[in-house]
Amino acid sequence: MPMVTINGVEVEVEKDVSILEAAAQAGFDVPHFCYHPALSAPANCRMCLVEVERAPKLLPACYNPVSDGMVVQTESEQVVRARKAVLEFILVNHPVDCPICDKAGECKLQDYYFAYDAQESRMRAEKQHKVKAYPIGPRVVYDGERCILCTRCIRFCEEISGTSELTLADRGDKIEVRTFPGQELDNDYSLCTVDVCPVGALTSRDFRFKCRVWLLTSTESICTGCSQGCNIHLDHFRNETQRYRPRYNSEVNDYWMCDDGRLTYKNLHTDRLLSPQHNGATDNWHTLTKSVAAKLEKQIKAHGEESIALVLSAQAACEDIFLAKLFHEEILGKKAQLYIAGKPSGKHDDFLINADKNPNRRGIEAVFAKLDGIKDVATLAGDITAGTIKTVYMMGTEFGEGDRSEAVAALKKCELFILQSTQGADLLDVAHIALPACTHAEKEGTFVNEEGIAQPFYKAYEPHGDSLPDWQIFMRIAKAMGKSTLNFTFLSKVQDRMFEATELLRKAEEEAAAAAKKAAEEAAAKKAEEEAKKAEESAAATEEPQDSTPS
Amino acid sequence: MGTVNVKVLERHQKTFWEKSYIPEISRGLGVTVKQFFKNLSPNKEKRDTFTIQYPEAGTDHYAERFRGQHRLMKREDGQVRCVACMCCSTICPANCIHIEAAEHDDPSIEKYPKVFVIDELRCIVCGLCVEACPCDAIRMDTGTHMAPRTDRTTAFHQRDDLLKKGGISIATRAGQKALASKSS
Repeated sequence: MPMVTINGVEVEVEKDVSILEAAAQAGFDVPHFCYHPALSAPANCRMCLVEVERAPKLLPACYNPVSDGMVVQTESEQVVRARKAVLEFILVNHPVDCPICDKAGECKLQDYYFAYDAQESRMRAEKQHKVKAYPIGPRVVYDGERCILCTRCIRFCEEISGTSELTLADRGDKIEVRTFPGQELDNDYSLCTVDVCPVGALTSRDFRFKCRVWLLTSTESICTGCSQGCNIHLDHFRNETQRYRPRYNSEVNDYWMCDDGRLTYKNLHTDRLLSPQHNGATDNWHTLTKSVAAKLEKQIKAHGEESIALVLSAQAACEDIFLAKLFHEEILGKKAQLYIAGKPSGKHDDFLINADKNPNRRGIEAVFAKLDGIKDVATLAGDITAGTIKTVYMMGTEFGEGDRSEAVAALKKCELFILQSTQGADLLDVAHIALPACTHAEKEGTFVNEEGIAQPFYKAYEPHGDSLPDWQIFMRIAKAMGKSTLNFTFLSKVQDRMFEATELLRKAEEEAAAAAKKAAEEAAAKKAEEEAKKAEESAAATEEPQDSTPS
Repeated sequence: MGTVNVKVLERHQKTFWEKSYIPEISRGLGVTVKQFFKNLSPNKEKRDTFTIQYPEAGTDHYAERFRGQHRLMKREDGQVRCVACMCCSTICPANCIHIEAAEHDDPSIEKYPKVFVIDELRCIVCGLCVEACPCDAIRMDTGTHMAPRTDRTTAFHQRDDLLKKGGISIATRAGQKALASKSS
């Protein structure tokens, strides 16, 4: 493994890593525009030039691999002077319209200008004018003047999305990023080009002019668009989510996320159910939990727990599902019928988009260990019309693959329909009681993705309106029904018990599997023994006459 | 260790009259009484008072850099100069500026403030918005006071009201400097 010295710090790095990556390992940040860890390195921006001993001139750090005994200077006088010159060259035709530009505040050109250049323009010639605010795709806007031609977007479309819509056209100061004739930048991952753009040349049409980035607060979260569970930065301002940005996770989504998932943040703010509703009238939590408890008790007395349907949502977090499970076990005596609901499946590809549009279906499996006895929500309508279900307690408003109008019509026939959801949708008119739940931006929790990776998400801002996290709603109702066993003060307590319970379930399952295996082995051994005995016997039987003959 | 030279001073001993304070008190009262009668003089020019009967009476003794009510400047074609960069609302320590940006119909103007409201009840007249503006779009040089009011709703200055007070600014904006110096 080669040893390199960077600014006097010796590091041992893997063979064939670039100087830039070696410098990062040594703790030095080499400024760069065109280099991106997930893309190829064309070394065209010349921003990462560094001084290497015995090299005739400065070398681009992103492109040159390290060799043993290399001595590199990343902040020497010559390097800083070169950076200043590169920045001046890039800024020759740059419009410097930072007040208008959405990227201002997270723009690399802006940051490096203040760090290395910080001088007035010496240009006296008129700047080259190019296309401005051009809709290069349905979700992306292109500004040719701001573009610094790093080709990150082009390489993204070639190497990651594999759609290759973009190319560089023309030469010299007329050079521009363009789509090929008859094409537009329209692929499922087109907004990632906005993320990789180091300047404001590509901006998101959705986020355009909505909020200045320096006003945003970022919270680590998980995209709820599908079961892939892409890691995101949830950027919010004044209690409202403004955008999602992908967060690096090599196990799940690398640096990327899909456009559909990125725009799912809009659901967090549309048609929210913000106050508890009792037969269409706004109520408060205090009186409503009491009446819910009374009504549930009445229904249990009249028809038994078997007539109650508890619909679990695959959109809810593991903690909420766990409390639903405890509610089912301790309040409903494990007799109520469980259903699993979620969004119907949609389009999928072999990169990041999964067909299952629910973030936590695997979470329900993890909490309940096995899904035996949990029906699909599509059968709910039939069960209600058949009369086996009189009461429905439903999380979320989705009916999976089932017929929605049929389900809504059936729910109208219920004696008691309790809806616990972030949005009321068309069920609000049908529900006798509607309980407002938090979105994932307003609470903490865990989602388990398609591959079974449990990932935490964090609270970004306070719940909107009177909404509460699902687990707290279950706790309130359980308390009103006189069961104080469901009494958790913090989410961490829920998590402790949940992880303990799932661990126990897993162990029990493993033990059962081991026991079954042992039993099978024993049976097999016994059988083998018996067979051997039989064979022996038969052999003895065949031998016996031989034995007996001589006498 | 060096030696310290100590100079012993004789303390000033107060006399009986000094200790009684009576001469000094009467001297001070004398100044007060003199000013009192001077400011009662019928000739206003001779008075020493600086009290202004605000808001009934104004004054022309305003400093050159007096910060009054805001105004929004216009481009040469009368359009609003502000590009809704939010620099003023970001720096405002009183959070009194509310801006909503939008895309302009005119393709030469990319971004403009669809809504621009200054809440004068919150404004502390610090002038930081003017300092922060990169486009010379907001100024506080109207010379008009933040007047006391009885109706709170009149304290919200909308974009068009602010524009009516504003004139045309010919200041060059960022990126236009080279152009301007070439043409001049």
